[in-house]
Amino acid sequence: MNNAPRLLLSLRSLHGPSLATRDRLLEVVARYREPESLAVTLAKAVAAKVDGVFTCSTPALRAALAELSTEVPLYVVVPSVSEYERQELGAGLEPVINASRARARGFAGVTARLAGMARPAMFGRGDYAWRLPVLIESELSSLPRSSVRGIVLDAWFTDLALAAGNRKMFESYTRYVRRNLKMSAGLETRNLGSLLAQLREWEIAPDFVAGPINPSGLLMKPSPEEVLAEVRRGTAPVIARELCAGGVDSLDTAAEYAYEHGAYGLAPDLTEMDDVGAELRALLRESARA
Amino acid sequence: MTTLIDSKLSEPGGSSTPPAPLKPLRLAVAGLGRAGIVQAAVARSIPNVELVGFAEADSAARRAAKGAGFKLPAFERLATLIEREKPDALIVTGAHHTRPALVREALDSGVAVLTDRPLSSALHEAESLALLSRDKRVPLACSHALMFHPVFAEASAVLASGTLGAARRVRCSTYRSRVFDTSRQAALAAGGATGGVLLHEAIDALFYAVETFGSPKQVRATAQRLFGELEDEVHVTLTLPSGGEVGLDASWSVPGYPAAATVLEFEGENGKLLASDDAVELDIIEERGTFRAGHTRLGLADLAQAARFDLDGEATYRVLASFLAWVAGGEPPIHRAERAVRALRVMDAVYTSSRTGGNPVALAVS
Repeated sequence: MNNAPRLLLSLRSLHGPSLATRDRLLEVVARYREPESLAVTLAKAVAAKVDGVFTCSTPALRAALAELSTEVPLYVVVPSVSEYERQELGAGLEPVINASRARARGFAGVTARLAGMARPAMFGRGDYAWRLPVLIESELSSLPRSSVRGIVLDAWFTDLALAAGNRKMFESYTRYVRRNLKMSAGLETRNLGSLLAQLREWEIAPDFVAGPINPSGLLMKPSPEEVLAEVRRGTAPVIARELCAGGVDSLDTAAEYAYEHGAYGLAPDLTEMDDVGAELRALLRESARA
Repeated sequence: MTTLIDSKLSEPGGSSTPPAPLKPLRLAVAGLGRAGIVQAAVARSIPNVELVGFAEADSAARRAAKGAGFKLPAFERLATLIEREKPDALIVTGAHHTRPALVREALDSGVAVLTDRPLSSALHEAESLALLSRDKRVPLACSHALMFHPVFAEASAVLASGTLGAARRVRCSTYRSRVFDTSRQAALAAGGATGGVLLHEAIDALFYAVETFGSPKQVRATAQRLFGELEDEVHVTLTLPSGGEVGLDASWSVPGYPAAATVLEFEGENGKLLASDDAVELDIIEERGTFRAGHTRLGLADLAQAARFDLDGEATYRVLASFLAWVAGGEPPIHRAERAVRALRVMDAVYTSSRTGGNPVALAVS
């Protein structure tokens, strides 16, 4: 069964890496400073019948969700790391788990505490394969779990584990999310071609991989040609991100390009749209044709 | 509007195929903080490079690298790593005060070194390392990444082409949101830092300015210390042999800049150039060389993307790949030690000037 989404609204630029220009980022961040603004956009996305929202668990997201009476399907990027925190990230997972737990204090339910007890740091401190479930449970503790359709591992950790050749992490992460959480297991990456090639060699198939695909070839690593070749091989459904290459390519052209080259779905970002509702509906029509 | 005829990238930003070592190399990393881990991750995607081990005094950092999946020998001491793994090249990262000794140890063992910038916070020590590298005939380079950023590499190439003519006004600024209280600055000072924003953040912009516009004959600088002994803001004027001036401003106490952001503004007799992390923009008065008159904007998507792996940006791969190509017998890269020393001489003069409240400090033009 394919558990990959076809169309996601990405909020990644509000709290994560983005190719958008600094001016555009500042504009969008200012536009969604109030939870009501974000709530309206989320409602439009739900009304447009997207499969979900690609985001991490942030206070802004939670405040916006609280404004809405309708359920918003979520594909949650873990961990939630601000751009300031991202600049300090290293290989260590424990500081990230500690920060997540500190943020979750007050929300943390039984599941999060059990995850920590089941996989104590004393037996595998810092081991990605062993400790990621603890991080995931901590990140989920502040969200309405019934809304969460999928978990997506942040590109920093995905790409670090990829570079390190950490097969065990990819296997255990995918298994844990599917079996224990009954959710889709996704991976975010800045190295789409390299990741797909490695997953193919390891015979690991997550539910989807989200990475840059755009007509300009920007951030398509190791090279645009190798990325497109791997996408066509179909190791895992690919959700195309950074469609507009920082504002150079138009969204409709980029969507067509992504589908033509084998992308399963799209995750356009807030920075890539002006009229979110209308543009998502247009992309949905495009996806039906693809 | 966009009237670019032919933008041919030149070194060091380079072509779409970055340099790579032409023979197999054994590479090791000393220091497993963020910089060391990023370099290790990127190194694995460079052709002909085998990552063979780590040296890191902190056991928690060694454990973290292992937890991420790096199943490589990790030693507490560099000497053990060199003795057992026999690397051809070493990347040195970590605190400012610990790096020079590691660089010296590696060079003494005949191992080529790429070290985090600055080469040293003390000019005499940097000069001594560059001399050692020359005497031993072992490559030594310093990770000045701005020269390798696609936008700034293109800006440098445009300026070198003479399209914009002689400089009338040059301003460069580097901002980052890093120090907003005394405790944050104290933490940096406790790590052995002898300088503030210039040493930590703006040294790359200074290196870029010296490489792009040449060594200044005179320096004037003032600094503000808002949160402790280290400078939080610095304002520098470099006077070029031609009499033209290059202004450099830096602050690490400005909100809204999670990562260091540099902006270069150049106004010449035939037009203007504006370079930022997003794009380089040109306004050219009269067609010259490969550029027509009018406005041209070259964003990241218009420029060569040569890196085969990206963890924190395009430049890291290019810095490392060009160093390793040199180690394998290729051309010396722009970030080699003697160039880094040239920028440090200017940095030294900046600090001297700022200590006297902005008095001019003369420099021998090299």
